[in-house]
Amino acid sequence: MDADDVSNAAKRKVSVLTKLNHYKWLYLMLIPGIAYFAVFKYAPMYGITIAFQDYLPFLGYSGSPWVGFKHFQALFSGPDFPRIMGNTLILAALHVLITFPAPIIVALLLNELRIGWLKRAVQSSIYIPHFLSWTIVASLTFLLFGLDPGPITKVASSLLGHQVDFLADPAWFRPLIILQSLWKGTGWGTIIYLAALTGVDPNLYEAARIDGASRWRQMWHITLPAIRSTVVVMAILLTGNLLDTGFEQIYLMTNSLNRSVADVFDTYVYIMGITQGAFSYSTAVGLFKAAIGIVLIFGANWLARKSGQSGLF
Amino acid sequence: MISRRTLLGSGAALGAASALAACSKNSSSSTSGGLDTLTIMAPVLTGQTPAADGKLQKAIEDFSGKKLAMTWVPNSDYGSKTNVILAGSELPELMVIQGKTPTFVRSAQAGAFWDLTGRLEKYPNLKPVDTTAAAVKSATINGKLYGVPRLRDPMRTGVILRKDWLAKLGLSMPKSTDDLYGIVKAFSERDPDGNGQKDTYGLIIPKWPGGYGTASPYDVFETWFGAPNAWGERSGKLVPGFDTPEYLQADQFLKKWVDEKLINPDFATLDSAKWNDPFFNGKGGVIVDVTSRGQVIGNLFKQQHPSNYMDYVAMTGNLTGPSGKLYAYPTIGYAGFISVSRQSIKTEAQLDQVLQFLDKMSSKEGQILENNGISGLNFTPDGTYSVAIKGGDADVVTNDTQSFAQIGTNTNGFMGYTAKPAIPAEQAFYEDRLKFQAADFKSAVQNPANALVSDTYTAKGAQLDQIIADARLKYIAGQLSLDQYQAEIKRWHTEGGDQVISEMNDLYAKYK
Repeated sequence: MDADDVSNAAKRKVSVLTKLNHYKWLYLMLIPGIAYFAVFKYAPMYGITIAFQDYLPFLGYSGSPWVGFKHFQALFSGPDFPRIMGNTLILAALHVLITFPAPIIVALLLNELRIGWLKRAVQSSIYIPHFLSWTIVASLTFLLFGLDPGPITKVASSLLGHQVDFLADPAWFRPLIILQSLWKGTGWGTIIYLAALTGVDPNLYEAARIDGASRWRQMWHITLPAIRSTVVVMAILLTGNLLDTGFEQIYLMTNSLNRSVADVFDTYVYIMGITQGAFSYSTAVGLFKAAIGIVLIFGANWLARKSGQSGLF
Repeated sequence: MISRRTLLGSGAALGAASALAACSKNSSSSTSGGLDTLTIMAPVLTGQTPAADGKLQKAIEDFSGKKLAMTWVPNSDYGSKTNVILAGSELPELMVIQGKTPTFVRSAQAGAFWDLTGRLEKYPNLKPVDTTAAAVKSATINGKLYGVPRLRDPMRTGVILRKDWLAKLGLSMPKSTDDLYGIVKAFSERDPDGNGQKDTYGLIIPKWPGGYGTASPYDVFETWFGAPNAWGERSGKLVPGFDTPEYLQADQFLKKWVDEKLINPDFATLDSAKWNDPFFNGKGGVIVDVTSRGQVIGNLFKQQHPSNYMDYVAMTGNLTGPSGKLYAYPTIGYAGFISVSRQSIKTEAQLDQVLQFLDKMSSKEGQILENNGISGLNFTPDGTYSVAIKGGDADVVTNDTQSFAQIGTNTNGFMGYTAKPAIPAEQAFYEDRLKFQAADFKSAVQNPANALVSDTYTAKGAQLDQIIADARLKYIAGQLSLDQYQAEIKRWHTEGGDQVISEMNDLYAKYK
């Protein structure tokens, strides 16, 4: 570090103080927000300490014995870990490959629609599933894919020539989960891409048309570059939640016959923590999952910046 | 240093704690020695929570000589609320605990509740009698009793059948599992509903939420075949039921039923809340479950056929297995405890007052108040039956009894009245049920490990039992071969089961 840098640093320090003074009312208004995060987001993190204890509600945080990394060791060396990690990663990969690009494709298709009322009607109707709870989605799935009455099961069974049991056959578990996620989330997911698409300058398309560019060329050279940064930001956000496969959806679709492919971190934490009362162990599992999430989100951001994109932070 | 009390900042915790604080504001008693008011936390199963100034609560207060500060918690949240309360500073003096959950066991062993071992015997109405002694013993945890158990029917297993289908096909009631096989076969193949189509099946089984040994139809069949009820003694050692040949024999028997399409095809996924629907709608004809379900199903038919609704439901008790001997499947005999907090009740003298209250409420008069209500106001006694009075205050009191029944312990046997059935056929149905339940109880296969809790099982039990329950279903559904099924049972052993077995045997030797 040479002298110039030091004096620059000093200057910055002064200017920070001046700025603080200058915007003191704005900073004052920031306090409720900071207090909110401190009280409701950061203070409860103290509870994470139970991952390193043998926590018992009656003994409390201070009274429960400290056991260090015992629960993490139990997790990594236990028989459940490979199965749960595998199931979670497979579902995460399917989400990345199928449910993530789906809204982009649908948004591009909608963007090509030139009949205004049809576009609006399609948009509105594909938003609706987003507002239904997973319980309702699961009930609908049971009605359609169950054995009784199960219209889809009946059709599929007669087409394939043998009885298909969508709900109990482990081979159908992942396709059903992805199908549900697509049905529920795709329409809603298009909103952000459609918003990005409205920002594209119509003059660009006009110029391209005059130059003789086809629809396909216009999409490739104008539309896609226009939403690229949105896609990158969404992708980074996705990686942070990669291991969040969703509890409700999976839990509702799990049964004894498909559990071998259905157990994921989210349901495992529930079963260990709530039904079995292993609070510390399930906290350790949750903490491990969160740590992976942090690594992934920073990694993806670093990768995005490295490849010349703007990144998230 | 931040104490554990202040840190439970979640909304649920605050809500529950403030509700309790509100309830206990009159009872500074726990420090002063006298106990005028008792704080009690109990689950509420109906939509309407009893009012603190309700007629029933007043009657109970007058009868017991104690003011009550009740905290009613919806049954669906009760488990999680219990954990929150245990972590808080305002523990109610009495808490209904719904079972030996790992959290309860470990809290009790850490000293959260009074050890009541040998204390019930000192109170005339809490003292177990011949018919209840076994259930009180199974409520202990490794020789210690951490609450007054809430006793329930010790025998409730029954087979519920479509009576009209039996009549149409000229079949008689089953006595053995082979008889039942003949019936489900006929129900599936001989068109019992007479619509000319083969669209019915015999046995109805839903998706079972619990693991191994949770009174599922599978567990019941295994016991009928002679397998232990969860745990059993074989040549002097405790073994889990699934290590016995009878267990596999029963599962092979049920697999045959599935292969021959005598069971509903969606037995792995049918919502257990909809268990009665196929029976009522005429798709299936047999349910193996608790006998009270027969009553519930009878009431379903009541709306459709008010005059002859009992012509649709027939019920019998446990069936004999292939050996010809009756092995009846009992319940554990109790539904959790009423536990006394050591944090709120500090001295022996206070504990004595609490137990005196529970003793008084367990007398015949107390039990009637809790379970039936106020004689002459919401019911009139008629022999061993009660006849409901309808309207206004009476309905409120009747509703409140459903909640106050939750603090009934009945360790000296149930002495309240039962609601009088509407028609003679229903009364005959009910009295028949009492008869076969009493007879079956003599052949009940008790679980000798009911009172034993091993550390490994507390830590891993639910997970381990799920291995068995899943593998059993996969085998019956045809996803696993017999060899693969046995490999899964072996996995139970290697993933912690062997440890559980050795701990259980140590405990068994100590507390038998």
